[in-house]
Amino acid sequence: MEILSNLALGFGVALSPFNLLMCLVGVVLGTLIGVLPGVGPVATIAMLLPITFNLNPIGALIMLAGIYYGAQYGGSTTAILVNLPGESSSVVTCLDGYQMARRGRAGPALATAAIGSFFAGTISTLVVALFAPPLAEVALKFGPSEYFSLMVLGLVAATVLASGSLIKAISMVLLGLLLGLVGTDVNSGVLRFAFGVSELADGIGFVVVAMGMFGLAEIIVNLEQKEAREVFTSKVGRLMPSKEDFKRMTPAILRGTALGSALGILPGGGALLSSFAAYTVEKKVSRYPAEFGKGAIEGVAGPEAANNAGAQTSFIPLLTLGIPGNAVMALMIGAMMIQGIAPGPQVMTERPQLFWGMIASMWIGNLMLVVLNLPMIGIWIKLLTVPYRILYPTILVFMCIGVFSLSNNPFDVLIMAFFGVLGYICAKLACEPAPMILGFILGPLMEENLRRAMLLSRGDPLVFFQKPISATFLTLSIVLLVVISLPALRSKREEAFAGDEQK
Amino acid sequence: MQIKNEKDFWAGLMFMGFGLAAVTIAVGPPAFLVAAWKSMGWGNLQYGYQMGTAVRMGPAYFPTMLGGLLAFLGFIVFLRGFFSELPPETMKANLSFGILDFVVGVALFAGLGYASKVMFKSGDYGMLAASVILAVLSFLFRPKTKPLILILACGMVFAYLLKPLGLVLATILLVFVAALGGHEYKTKEVAIVAVVLSIFSVVVFVYGLTLPFQIWPAAFY
Repeated sequence: MEILSNLALGFGVALSPFNLLMCLVGVVLGTLIGVLPGVGPVATIAMLLPITFNLNPIGALIMLAGIYYGAQYGGSTTAILVNLPGESSSVVTCLDGYQMARRGRAGPALATAAIGSFFAGTISTLVVALFAPPLAEVALKFGPSEYFSLMVLGLVAATVLASGSLIKAISMVLLGLLLGLVGTDVNSGVLRFAFGVSELADGIGFVVVAMGMFGLAEIIVNLEQKEAREVFTSKVGRLMPSKEDFKRMTPAILRGTALGSALGILPGGGALLSSFAAYTVEKKVSRYPAEFGKGAIEGVAGPEAANNAGAQTSFIPLLTLGIPGNAVMALMIGAMMIQGIAPGPQVMTERPQLFWGMIASMWIGNLMLVVLNLPMIGIWIKLLTVPYRILYPTILVFMCIGVFSLSNNPFDVLIMAFFGVLGYICAKLACEPAPMILGFILGPLMEENLRRAMLLSRGDPLVFFQKPISATFLTLSIVLLVVISLPALRSKREEAFAGDEQK
Repeated sequence: MQIKNEKDFWAGLMFMGFGLAAVTIAVGPPAFLVAAWKSMGWGNLQYGYQMGTAVRMGPAYFPTMLGGLLAFLGFIVFLRGFFSELPPETMKANLSFGILDFVVGVALFAGLGYASKVMFKSGDYGMLAASVILAVLSFLFRPKTKPLILILACGMVFAYLLKPLGLVLATILLVFVAALGGHEYKTKEVAIVAVVLSIFSVVVFVYGLTLPFQIWPAAFY
């Protein structure tokens, strides 16, 4: 049993005191930002990236991963108690979770969310451990043409799964790819799109882009709307769900876990998509469809299990292929690069401690999260009473110090402000920033692989269709695009994201 | 022609702008413009990057492809702005500034940045001055843009004054400017937040993470 010895190695790494501490820091931070509406994991991880410079790679990645799945736990608390998604992936938890709270069943709702998340976290940790190694082995055989096609597939999938208009999402990807090319061209040494600014020679830092597009833009948009938050904290009451509750939530959690684990692996997938899909499924298969929207426990259990499973399995493409499936994973790639690790299939063989340590830490982190979120729920509720007018200057201070410290140069803050404006405009024009960030990360990689593939094929673009794996990826991309453009499905997709718009 | 979907209209224009700009910069401006530029005695217009061939792609190849595609898609989005069947009131962009305000802002940054580069050999003063002027303008004449402009300005003020003023004062300034961008402004509360945050950032970032920031104004040392 190779997997057992690998997992043993992983737990050995993850259980070292320092890594345990890092894991704890990560999940506490994750819960914190998950609970606070208006602060997302993308902005937080971007904010903390400069700090991870001083940590060892394993500890840094364990902490950052903890923030992402920790945020899924915290987000549900806010959704249930305040009817606000603390995290975008807990939008659907608002529907039934808040209704349960209004009927005095806040405790069982919170417990259901935590139990579902923990179960999903355990299973999806196993999924990662089982599926990542064979995938990495296949990926080791990839040449430049396969990589290029895979990135095309990843980007297409990201646009398909983005909410709103497909054309706009593709345009955002292209814009991101272009912005990623700013700086010195590796092949020719020519400085591209730098406008004579020497700071741009190394390209635009993606931390700066992410903070501007997500962090700054989010604050600005939030401030334009009036603050209206009604905290439902009167009494959480008894936490333990009843026997009947357990009977109803168990199948929902199982379905949510399966769905989330599968959807998380897809490029473009992750927590958000998984929770939406799980809610739709629960509503379809439930024996009590009339209860949905009025406090059905399945409506909490399914999506909460799914978003946690999806958050964790979205690490699979990152760890095995070096390709980010969503914006958070794009930042993780950045974190690996900061640490001098080239993301890709070789990570598993060359750095087994990092690979398995991270996987093991996910399960440990989930255990910590259950403890953090159930007995200590009172602390998080208190946090909800902190008004946004105190919160956002605090976030701004952290963001500005973080960005400034990247190179001790005000120029980075200037670029962040530029992307803040762009992010604000994009938000107003219903253009999603997430596909852009993916494009931004993949831009240089795609150009590099395109060049190599074309050089190897002596300029014949058909090479992408002659190699079987590459052809499969491209065919899949085309099929995805065609299918999603069909009118019948298009309306379905818009329906699925309708709830997302109100956030 | 009536604009039916403002969001698509402006988004299309934006994508077209980025796409065409990328292509123009990569390929270089058209020959007649270069000739005209030279005949005016303004010197040589920098002429793009090398295109290369499909086998050996030059630095212009990939950006030209991307830019062209982006401009094309942008055009489609732009056209869709005129043929939307959705109710027009939901398709309002609701941007807090007009196109003229935008031009003024860009001109302010470009103009002052260039001027300060010529005068002081550094664009920093110009950027700081432009942010402050824009913040004042927004405060006086465009209260709707306050969240946008003041949130951006607070970062700029912090970044450009961190070295001369030190971390404590820069943080306090940041918090005050940021608070002006919100709905409610209570001087006492903001002052408390500012002081607490400046102490916190000194402890965490200077003592804890040993970032090389000065704590007090440079004149004190």
